[in-house]
Amino acid sequence: MTRSLRTLAVWAVLGALAAAFLLAGAALDFDYVIPRRLTRLAAIVIGGICIAWSSIAFQTITENRILTPAIMGYEAIYLLLQALLVFALGAGGPMLLGANGNFLLSVAVLLAYSLAIHAWLFRGGRNNVYFLLLAGLVMTIAISALTEVIQYSISPGEFALLQGYSLASFNRAEPAQLAIAAAILTLVSVPVIRSLRTFDVVSLGRDQAISLGVDYQRFVRLHLGLIALLVAISTSLIGPTAFMGIFVANGAYVLARDHRHRSILSMGCVIAIALFLCAQLLVEHVFNYRTTVGILINLSCGLFFLALLVRRSERA
Amino acid sequence: MISVQSLRKRYGEKVVVEDVNLDFPAGKLTSLIGPNGAGKTTLLMMMGRLLARSSGEVRLEGEDIAVLRPADFARRIATLRQSPDFNLRLTVDELVAYGRFPYSRGFLTAEDHAAIEQALAFVEIDHLRRAYIDELSGGQRQMAFLAMTIAQQTDCLLLDEPLNNLDMKHAVGIMRALRRLCDEQGRTVILVVHDINFAANYSDHIVAMKGGRVFRAAPVAQVVTSACLRELYGLDFEVSARPDGYFCNYFKPMGICK
Repeated sequence: MTRSLRTLAVWAVLGALAAAFLLAGAALDFDYVIPRRLTRLAAIVIGGICIAWSSIAFQTITENRILTPAIMGYEAIYLLLQALLVFALGAGGPMLLGANGNFLLSVAVLLAYSLAIHAWLFRGGRNNVYFLLLAGLVMTIAISALTEVIQYSISPGEFALLQGYSLASFNRAEPAQLAIAAAILTLVSVPVIRSLRTFDVVSLGRDQAISLGVDYQRFVRLHLGLIALLVAISTSLIGPTAFMGIFVANGAYVLARDHRHRSILSMGCVIAIALFLCAQLLVEHVFNYRTTVGILINLSCGLFFLALLVRRSERA
Repeated sequence: MISVQSLRKRYGEKVVVEDVNLDFPAGKLTSLIGPNGAGKTTLLMMMGRLLARSSGEVRLEGEDIAVLRPADFARRIATLRQSPDFNLRLTVDELVAYGRFPYSRGFLTAEDHAAIEQALAFVEIDHLRRAYIDELSGGQRQMAFLAMTIAQQTDCLLLDEPLNNLDMKHAVGIMRALRRLCDEQGRTVILVVHDINFAANYSDHIVAMKGGRVFRAAPVAQVVTSACLRELYGLDFEVSARPDGYFCNYFKPMGICK
């Protein structure tokens, strides 16, 4: 199959999934069902793009294909923030700020965390993936432990509410948040699209990229900042997605069959959106809401991650 | 052309390169030799701006390289490290095209295409242009990376152990290509090489390093002597200077030197 034909087939599948999601069992109810589903579809598209872009960019910069930005502790920070809100303000805490207030606060806190951790990690030109990983892992464990301490001191009702934040879902996003998220995403996409060819050079490795005239330090700082912004949007909009980025990025490398980021990034977006749509369709029409999107996605991507690790260790 | 003044690199207390002062002759091939851990690669990486120096200066035509903008620097000095294992799916001509990035930032012009063709022809791998890098032999892959570096059209090329893991035929092929780069195009080539026979037969100039310092920097004839090499490596050498080249025999030393 030629490249363009395969691209066409992939987009056709995505279109069919989106149509099925919008119309299945809706009896063409344009007053309630379909507008509600359009909102969820928008959340899926924005979340999918953020996850695909952030994971692929992160993997290119760290020259490692089994990492996601989640390793840096972003999701743990988000959950800690929600737990603190519940603890300080009661069950209504996260809602007290209004959905938009909570969304903007989450984005701001995640961004501040990312700037702090980057300023600390890259102090003095240090740029070591293993150090980054270790620091991220330790931060994640420490922050999660703190979150647990808070969870033990709140009521069961509040705990159940908090539990809801720890799984991905498309139901919490409101149109106003989606509009803000879309606006931020558009702004982020400008430098990302302008750097697509530089990303290709960076995928040759740090040394080769510098030798070919990439201002490497500036590039890494800019794009780690943008990655933080993308993760902040997707986490505040749909919740933590843990392994999903690894699945999306590696699927994109295989399906795009092209090393250029132009192809890899667009394929990654398609895969992320398709995966969300499949999970949401299954939840709505097969499991009748007896399971959640977050569980389905973590299960399928977790299995994929294991398979990837097994395959890599066999090859090594 | 390119010179180094009191260059030093240390990691904490450990000094890797200490007080190195060198002038690399322009348009010549210079080999950096010396035992493992002598600081050859560290020196080369600092000259290529891949490693921050602790103190001292690297000058390109009298100008400190630290003040050059990344893209300008990449049009004057190209660095090739040992070819990495690579999990990218890309073809030889796509790889060589990256050599043009300092000029066109990924949007290839007619001039870029000409430079790519020239580089492919120069290392004689035109027939491999459609082959995928990960399917090539080690020697062919090294040729492809060298072609990328040549396509960068810099006056100066820095190569870190380009002969590593190559069979004899490919090693000779690489060295001949580097020799021709100097002789036909007047480029300055500086490389780290472990095989003393290649260094002796293909270089104009040799910089021998030991323990982070320059042990000897001189034209080939002054470095490739049994006395000098014995002191440098702590190994017995039998050097025969023949009309057709040098032969340094260290394979069956009489005994390890004290």
